Formats: sequence, C-alpha cells, structure tokens
Amino acid sequence: MAKKTYDLLFKLLLIGDSGVGKTCVLFRFSDDAFNTTFISTIGIDFKIKTVELQGKKIKLQIWDTAGQERFHTITTSYYRGAMGIMLVYDITNAKSFENISKWLRNIDEHANEDVERMLLGNKCDMEDKRVVPKAKGEQIAKEHGIRFFETSAKANINIEKAFLTLAEDILKKTPVKEPNSENVDISTGGGVTGWKTKCCS
Amino acid sequence: MEGRHDNSPTQAFDKDVLELTVEDVYDISYVIGRDLLKVNTGGNREISDLQFKIVRVLEMFETMVNKYNLSLEELRMEMDNMRTETDRVVAEGSSGNINTVGPNKLVVDLKDPNRPRFTMQELKEVLQERNKLKAQLLVAQEELQLYKSGVLSSQQNMVEVNLETVPQSEPLRSSITEESKEKSTIQKLFSFRPK
Repeated sequence: MAKKTYDLLFKLLLIGDSGVGKTCVLFRFSDDAFNTTFISTIGIDFKIKTVELQGKKIKLQIWDTAGQERFHTITTSYYRGAMGIMLVYDITNAKSFENISKWLRNIDEHANEDVERMLLGNKCDMEDKRVVPKAKGEQIAKEHGIRFFETSAKANINIEKAFLTLAEDILKKTPVKEPNSENVDISTGGGVTGWKTKCCS
Repeated sequence: MEGRHDNSPTQAFDKDVLELTVEDVYDISYVIGRDLLKVNTGGNREISDLQFKIVRVLEMFETMVNKYNLSLEELRMEMDNMRTETDRVVAEGSSGNINTVGPNKLVVDLKDPNRPRFTMQELKEVLQERNKLKAQLLVAQEELQLYKSGVLSSQQNMVEVNLETVPQSEPLRSSITEESKEKSTIQKLFSFRPK
C-alpha cells in the first residue's frame, strides 16, 4: 500500500440539464480554468482532484455526465457508485430549474440512499440574464434538505467552496476503518494517527 | 330521341323513381302532352289552363331529376377519386419505399457521412474503456511524479531509494511484467541524467 498517495477516495457526480455548465464547473475546480466554447459532453467523463480536509488527503474522482436525454441510460448507470451528487441548474434558464424535480427523482431511483446531495445555481455572474431568483433556489434546496450554492465557473464564484463542502459532508459520515479498532470517530483527532500510518511518506 | 319515343315512351312510367333520367321526364311529358291533345280537341279553356299547370309541374320534375342525378354523379366521382388515392397510398406503403414512418421512428439518410451508426451499448463500452485508460494514466502519472520527486529530493540516496521502493511494492506487483521493470529502469536512467 506504499503507493497510495491519498487517504480516502470520494466519488462525486455532476448532473443537470444540458448546457447548465457542469463541465465548466468541474473544469474550474480541477484545472482552475474556463473555456467559453460549448462542447456537449459525450456520455460520461471524469476528472481527479486531490484535496486536503482535516489533515486527510482526499482524492475526489468527479464524474461529469452528459445532460442530454439521449445519454440517459449511460449516465444513470453511474449514479450507483456516487457518494455525492451535485445537481446543477442555470440561473438564466428557467427550464433547467423546473427540471430539478426530475433530476431529484433520478437520484432517488438510481443512486444510493445515503448519497450526499447538493444543488448549484450556476452562471450567477450573468445577473442581467437571471430568470431564477436566488430565493427560489434556496427554497427548493430547503424543501429537499440539501445544501445550495449559487456558483459561477466563469467568474470563479463558490466553485471550490461547493466541492469542499460536499467532500466535507461526505467525510463527516465516513467511518474510519482501522485494522484493530473499528468505528473510530475521525473528528476526535485520535483517528488522524491512524491515517498517517497508512500514508506512504 | 325520336327512336326512343317510338320505342316506348310509356315505359318511363314503370321505372323506379330513383332511376329516372331527364330523358324519361321528356318521355313522360310527351305522353301526357299527346293525351292532353287528344282530350282538348275543342280548345277547352279550362283544359288549356290545366295544361300550363301540368307543364309547370313537369318542368319542376325535370329540374329535380336533373339535380338529383348531378349530385349522384358528383358523389360517384368523389368516391372514385378516394378509391384511387387509397390504392396509391396502400401500394406505396407495401412497397419498400417507405416515406411515411410511424411514431417514434427515425429516418436515416444512408448517404450522410455523419449518420448515427453505433449503438448505445457500443458507446457505453468505448466510454468505459476510455475512462479506465484515463484512470490508469492518472495513476501512472502520479507514480512517475512520486519517483521524480523522491529522486530529486535525495540525490545521494537515489539508488537506495529505488531499492527500497521495489520490495515495498513487491506484493502489488506480483503480476506485473517486464514492461514495468523496464519503465523503472528508464526512470532510473532519466533521473541519472541531471547528474
């Protein structure tokens, strides 16, 4: 196990209507860059980003799905393995907001029951074209008991915060597995040494 | 006309009302006119008045029969048109040349170089393979980075470091072939180069 460069691997999934900016959100987070040309994602793609939370190196494998209906059968088969799902809509696109309930239903149908969910209202830099008020996003998130952020991949607003928050929420409910002691609470600090021993360096 | 009259103008009286033609109405008029003439030899004024009324009724009869037959003809023509149209559509449908496609069907232009060609299952498999290879590449890159940084940070102990890492990762590598050994050799060569 000397090769392991991380302590934990979290699998995240990005879903939402086509063109809301899922790939851009991910690209901003993984490469800190933004590209204005729109290239529709074919089926499914992923990116890796390792972050450090509470002294632990967490490797995030983030799956980016195609929003187009025609890839539905491919994308839904990736829900099952996800520990966290980001549902993205576009604040300048009312339809993408209306479809939130449809995406939430997809999560209920195809994802694990204990999957951590998060709602993102993307493109919040385009205030002049906004059609979905922030309060409406907050309200629907509250109704479903999930976190909510307005983000902008272009202006780099709340992107890192959203991913780190989601990772933190998953970390909070991840039990630490150690050879001789089970269910060590990682928040007590005692678990940290356990993690260190696993690390190669 | 004449021949008809000579034949049997009175036959028109025995015909089915719905089968009467304008000619039959003329036959009837001829017979009635002839008989009236026989009766009214003395130029009876009352009979003359009656004659006008009868002519008027016969004219009405003519118009009605005419109109009825015209409508009938129109309907017949329309029916014929419909029948040929139906035959045409049915023939088109049964022959291979299908222009009319049912609901939820897609017409593919076989000459379009960009036409859809692969199934969803095939796409799924290609994407799975792509993502698997991508994951492996990322792992390889990470490993390479580790080797590089390990070498760069302790140049003196470089050989020892390499020796150490090999047994450490031995259990993982049980199935690894020449290729990876070669790779680590190359990496060693690379790391020597700056010296």
